Amino acid sequence: MQIKVKCNCGETKCLEWAVVELQGIVEAQPSFEDRFQTLEIGVLCRPSAQEVYTFTVGYHELTGSKVPLKKPLLVLKKKKCVDEDQSGDTKSATAELEVIGIIRQRFLFKTRPKALISKPQPSVKERSRASGSAVTGQTT
Amino acid sequence: MEQQNPHGRGADAVLNLQPNSSVAIAYHSLFGPHDDLVLLEVDEKLLEEVLHERVSIRGQAEEEAVFCTKSKTYGIKYVGTSNSVLLIPPSGRSEYYENELDSQGNDSTKEVVPVIKLAPGIMELVEIAPRIDKLKLLLSENPYSLADEWESEEMDKCEKQMYNWNDLLDKVQASDDELKAGLRALSAVEIDGYWRLVDEKYMDSMLQMLLNNRILNDWSLDALDEGVLMKVMKMDGFSETLVHHCLDVYGDKLEGDEGNSCLWRLDEKRVCVHFAREVLRKGKMKVEHFMDEWQKKIPVEMHANFDMLEGEVLTERLGVETWVRGFRVSSLPLNPVERFSILFRERPKWEWKDLQPYIRDLTVPGLSSEGLLLKYTRRTQPNPEAEPVFSAR
Repeated sequence: MQIKVKCNCGETKCLEWAVVELQGIVEAQPSFEDRFQTLEIGVLCRPSAQEVYTFTVGYHELTGSKVPLKKPLLVLKKKKCVDEDQSGDTKSATAELEVIGIIRQRFLFKTRPKALISKPQPSVKERSRASGSAVTGQTT
Repeated sequence: MEQQNPHGRGADAVLNLQPNSSVAIAYHSLFGPHDDLVLLEVDEKLLEEVLHERVSIRGQAEEEAVFCTKSKTYGIKYVGTSNSVLLIPPSGRSEYYENELDSQGNDSTKEVVPVIKLAPGIMELVEIAPRIDKLKLLLSENPYSLADEWESEEMDKCEKQMYNWNDLLDKVQASDDELKAGLRALSAVEIDGYWRLVDEKYMDSMLQMLLNNRILNDWSLDALDEGVLMKVMKMDGFSETLVHHCLDVYGDKLEGDEGNSCLWRLDEKRVCVHFAREVLRKGKMKVEHFMDEWQKKIPVEMHANFDMLEGEVLTERLGVETWVRGFRVSSLPLNPVERFSILFRERPKWEWKDLQPYIRDLTVPGLSSEGLLLKYTRRTQPNPEAEPVFSAR
């Protein structure tokens, strides 16, 4: 079997995707169960002209930077098309991969989160902003 | 699902974040595992190949897939991560464009960009040797022989186990260039659109006929006229494709001929090796006997030299006698593990000069020939002056 890797970017540039990478996992508060689509994770902020960024998740703040990838990453999408032109009832599913984007840099947050305790936010306000996330499970 | 969004609420908003500003990051309304989205790491050179649609993934369902450019083969390695990698699609021309967030009652001065999935890992590419042994296996199922000329044309090509170029691309895990080189190395020929090996007996009868004809017609082995030869061989019942193949296997086309018909020169070594194989077919024999038989078979203008048989014969000393036996490097697998296992089964200990002809065709990307020996053999040298001996690890 042969899967062609297609690319519709053609002559125009491949659309660039962004990556925010942090250690550990972001967990939604249990009340959201699995319905966390559209839920806000946090706020990415660039406090100065430098390529230093903060990512605030709930009442945790991460500090990181924008780093170019040594080698770019391509975003590929698998597509299945079913060929029915084969004789009789033998349907063969042919797969196709399409390049839909490229990643050249990532926002990398590898520091331990800093708790924002100096300015505790009222829990009511916290919930109303739907920032029901917190960083847990710090790993290396 | 394609929409234009002039305001850019996607990757661009993050990538072009201005100093003293911020952007909210949220789960996409379609956030999920999205297993159909994969990340593939490529270097700039490979990127160029991908963007110009010159790459493909090859392999049967039960095989580990490989990634092929026009000339190289890469293994695909999945590298997982324990980090959370939030993937943010671009706005604009993307099926993952998000507009629902507009209605979520967020602060209208703040931009929100969506995360479509968490990437659990990426695919990395590692250059590997093509898995070309399968080509030999497929083509050996049904070599072209006399039987092909007797059989009716109606037989199903599929039942007869024949493969055209596209069938081979589907079944063999190698790049186009490597597959072509593999076909050349096996002396395969395209007959009526199908790639075939030609049975050795058939090749032998063709070469014999060619040599007989050149005696009858007083041709020179250094300048065989293709047109004249074709006409004569056709009368003997050989097709043009196969005669041409025979010339290609045992000879070289001469450059710069101005006439209408090309000239070919038969290659001494290739012709001699052919006849050595024919003699060795009878099995193990004393070297004197072998040389005798061999000399008798080859054309008088040609000179048989035992050095021609590197990678073709093994010699053994039994008392005062030297015996030879056919053992062809071309019959061995190209996979180094299988190659060395067969070699050490054949002989537990090898001297370098004997071993070299049987491994010089092995290439493993990223591994030198010394590295190959280090990995698959044990080297012993009783004293610094002695020849090293290689045995199995």
